[in-house]
Amino acid sequence: MKRSGILFFPAFDWSLGDTHPEREERLLYTQEQFFEEGVMELPQVKQYSPGLASIHEVLRTQALFPSPDQPDLTAHLIAAGSAIVLGEAWAQHEIQNGFALVRPPGHHSGATVLGNRGFCTLNNEAILVNHLRTKYGIKKIAIVDTDVHHGDGTQDIFYHDPQVLYVSLHQDGRTLYPGSGFTNEKGGPNAWDKTLNIPLPPGTGDEGIHYILEDWILPRLREFKPDLVINSAGQDNHFTDPLASMNVTARGYGKITELIRPDLAVLEGGYSIESALPYVNLAIFLALAGEDYSHVQEPQKPQRPLLNFQELKHYVKELKVNNKQANPHWTIREEKSLPAGKWAYIPHSVYYDTEGIQEIRQDRIRICNQCGGTVLIESQHASTGERFALIRIPFQACSTCRQAGEDLWEDFMGRKTSVLLQDQSQDLIQFWDVHEGVRSL
Amino acid sequence: MRPIEIQVGIDVGGTFTDAVLLKENVILEKAKIATRPDNLLGTVLQALEVLKIYHQPVAQITVSTTLITNAILQQRLPEVDLLLFPGSGMSLDSLTWPVSYQVLKGELDYRGREISPPDELEWRRLLNRYQEFPQAKVAIVGKFSHRNDLHEHNLALFLHKHCPDLDLSLGHEWGQANFYRRSLTAYLNLATSEIYQKFAEQLQQAVVQKGSSAQIFVLKADGGVLPLQKLRPVESIYSGPAASILGALAQSEPDQSFVVVDIGGTTTDIGLILSGEPLMSSHGAEIGSFSTLVRTLAVRSIPAGGDSTILSEGDGFKIAPYRRGPAYCLGGPAPTPTDAMRYLDLIPYGNRLKAEEGLAQLLPESFRDASHLQQLAEDILTRLADNIAEAVDSLNQEWREEPAYKVWEVLHPHDYHNLYIWVSGGGAPGLVNALGTRLHIPVRIGDYPEVSNAIGAALARPTFSCTLHLDTSMNRYRIEETGQQGEWLGSRKPHKEVEEFLQEIAEQIARDQGIELSDPLIQPFDFFPIVKGYQTVGQIVRGSLLVPPGVRGRLKP
Repeated sequence: MKRSGILFFPAFDWSLGDTHPEREERLLYTQEQFFEEGVMELPQVKQYSPGLASIHEVLRTQALFPSPDQPDLTAHLIAAGSAIVLGEAWAQHEIQNGFALVRPPGHHSGATVLGNRGFCTLNNEAILVNHLRTKYGIKKIAIVDTDVHHGDGTQDIFYHDPQVLYVSLHQDGRTLYPGSGFTNEKGGPNAWDKTLNIPLPPGTGDEGIHYILEDWILPRLREFKPDLVINSAGQDNHFTDPLASMNVTARGYGKITELIRPDLAVLEGGYSIESALPYVNLAIFLALAGEDYSHVQEPQKPQRPLLNFQELKHYVKELKVNNKQANPHWTIREEKSLPAGKWAYIPHSVYYDTEGIQEIRQDRIRICNQCGGTVLIESQHASTGERFALIRIPFQACSTCRQAGEDLWEDFMGRKTSVLLQDQSQDLIQFWDVHEGVRSL
Repeated sequence: MRPIEIQVGIDVGGTFTDAVLLKENVILEKAKIATRPDNLLGTVLQALEVLKIYHQPVAQITVSTTLITNAILQQRLPEVDLLLFPGSGMSLDSLTWPVSYQVLKGELDYRGREISPPDELEWRRLLNRYQEFPQAKVAIVGKFSHRNDLHEHNLALFLHKHCPDLDLSLGHEWGQANFYRRSLTAYLNLATSEIYQKFAEQLQQAVVQKGSSAQIFVLKADGGVLPLQKLRPVESIYSGPAASILGALAQSEPDQSFVVVDIGGTTTDIGLILSGEPLMSSHGAEIGSFSTLVRTLAVRSIPAGGDSTILSEGDGFKIAPYRRGPAYCLGGPAPTPTDAMRYLDLIPYGNRLKAEEGLAQLLPESFRDASHLQQLAEDILTRLADNIAEAVDSLNQEWREEPAYKVWEVLHPHDYHNLYIWVSGGGAPGLVNALGTRLHIPVRIGDYPEVSNAIGAALARPTFSCTLHLDTSMNRYRIEETGQQGEWLGSRKPHKEVEEFLQEIAEQIARDQGIELSDPLIQPFDFFPIVKGYQTVGQIVRGSLLVPPGVRGRLKP
């Protein structure tokens, strides 16, 4: 038995559209299942009530452009705020672990936010992680993302952060949204090998996922020695998922949870709302609480043929080789317009599928062996042409990087539509735009 | 012209029974008699005599009794067989079952769809037992039976056909979610039904024999009342605390927010009234080792009251969770908080010299002087106030930490200012100061603290709650409170018609229960579109009509 917290926030009055997968009905049957089973009454379980994240807590982790004053943010602020409530309970030792069973999800939402993508606007786990680092000084965090989709938003946020190990298991980006998460995405210059992507072939199944966890991910976690382990608990690996085809069962998810032993699990995707969610959520939470999940049984049986286990082992072996041999994908430049030092340059683009927005990004990271390195992200909304900049001074920044960040802030104000200074080391957020000038948020 | 209303309220407590007779909300008679724990019926009848009710055209008698609470806590219940259809899911052993059960095959899912059918062979084997015990009591409960009573119903039919004398009780009649609590509630209700029926019949007969045509009502844990014959026995547990809260409500101005503290002989009950409405518990009542689905007001009970025995312990003292008799100053065997109150001149009754003598027993001989006695008496009341304050905090926490499932709820949290404390019960006058000092909020006391509970019982109005769960794609509806289930013949995406439908059902239920609905509120409905392959194929609709706990009128001086 483990003292486990649960924060159930199904947002029964919020949807992205009447027939959208992210609709009121999504956690309705999970509620029915949990309430009927009496899960909240287990003696070791405590239920928490939702919270509301502040804009400050959001901006510490993500830059909302063109401005943080956005409509339709409330449900997302509650999902992120609820993750924080549970994180607080964990940090205060009220609980040994917890499950934020909340919607809407967050792991496709990245360092810059121009809109909703993959149903996500705010990154619940990332906001939670940075809250706990700021308030409790927690140093090393591992995030294991078991959603079937690559958690590209979470990867984007922590790509240059050497203190955060991000591991994502997902169905290969060649066959599934968002089309990223390949083995060569291993982290930025100051955080190389702190991102681990394991793209899997369709039909991997329980045995396959458990094998990869035991053979690859758990050893990597042991090596990293995190102070906090977060599980982005997406449920779309289930064999009934309408979008993916990974063939994992509810009990398979229970075992995944038991293997990862997360301190905090946060719900991500999963849209088989009748056939999977009530059972998968139950198995995950029972596993967290140290209860028997072996009787959790979805009515349907897996039908698609499982991938041959020997083939999978072979595939994983090759992946490991690819991962090891992958080369950095940035160019190093000394740029006159930037503060002194070497800057890695990574141009790329981000597509916001919900609203059809294309974002053009130019990311620059100051190479530093003292700290995580100051990050400059220039962002452009492709259709409106608006330009934004995010300047991030990292947690435990060295004095040179701090100065570099402050110089960039002075320099960029006035040159863009809006600019955000995200000083994580001093928990200081400043926002500039042409209408209101500089605001401390 | 409306006939003059004469109402009687009786609260049978653990130590004392309070009774009042009200005419147009004015107290005409009041009484406080000792409760005879082995003869609760006799106690009630005695209270009625003392009130001289048989000389008045009394319209209604409302009784709050510990009959069922005691039967459960003292484990005086007959044997009940509990047959379960638990299906798959969480292991039954994950929760502690205070009674044994037998597991049967057959499973439903969360929408009430059959996943696997029951096994007739298992059912036939059950008959072997029931042919031997043809009058056995059998509770049958299925997981998700509140969504579909199919398995429970069929097994009941089968058993009844072969063993017509079995006393059967079905889980879905307690139609809220929670299989574990539903099982234990169905069990307890069946186990307490004989004790209750006997009490109800004898009370009714006795009143009729005396020539009274008063209608008899019973107070429930949720602060509502139901006619004696309509009550489900287990719903009468914890009516004492409910009476305290309603008593306070009947003696205060409308729409206020306050904490109710009722200091009884051996128990102190604490409740909360927010904007004039008693706070309901979001869980069912807990009694002994049973968790139930019985709707209840949110209350905390502390095992300490005016007559609690005080024992010396080390250098200090402790308040024992029991009573050995009246206070020392009233001729009892041991010192009590009442003696502390008497010694400090906070109450006028009892012998002050005896109080001093009682308290002195708790001090070493060399310390038995006025200043030590004064300190001890104050410490005793402070200790009691501390215990009460802790319970008040925990109750405050409860509503602040209430889960929320909608965006709207998170954006509109409740907030109450200017809370004060309302004290009642025999020990109330003695604790006003200690509580005020400890909690730093004003403490008020009514004119009739000793019969406050009886006032609450007399003026309680019927509560009512009718919660509809409608699944239009499966054409089924259910009512949580009664377990009624049926076919929905309306549209797939209903709007206005659901409200009318709910209203009709609610009126029907109220008629069946013999109560009138005063100002029922319809809560905003929740609509969940059910989507299959990007097509909306129906809706799940949830909504309720309710009359929250309250009073029919306020006490006039």
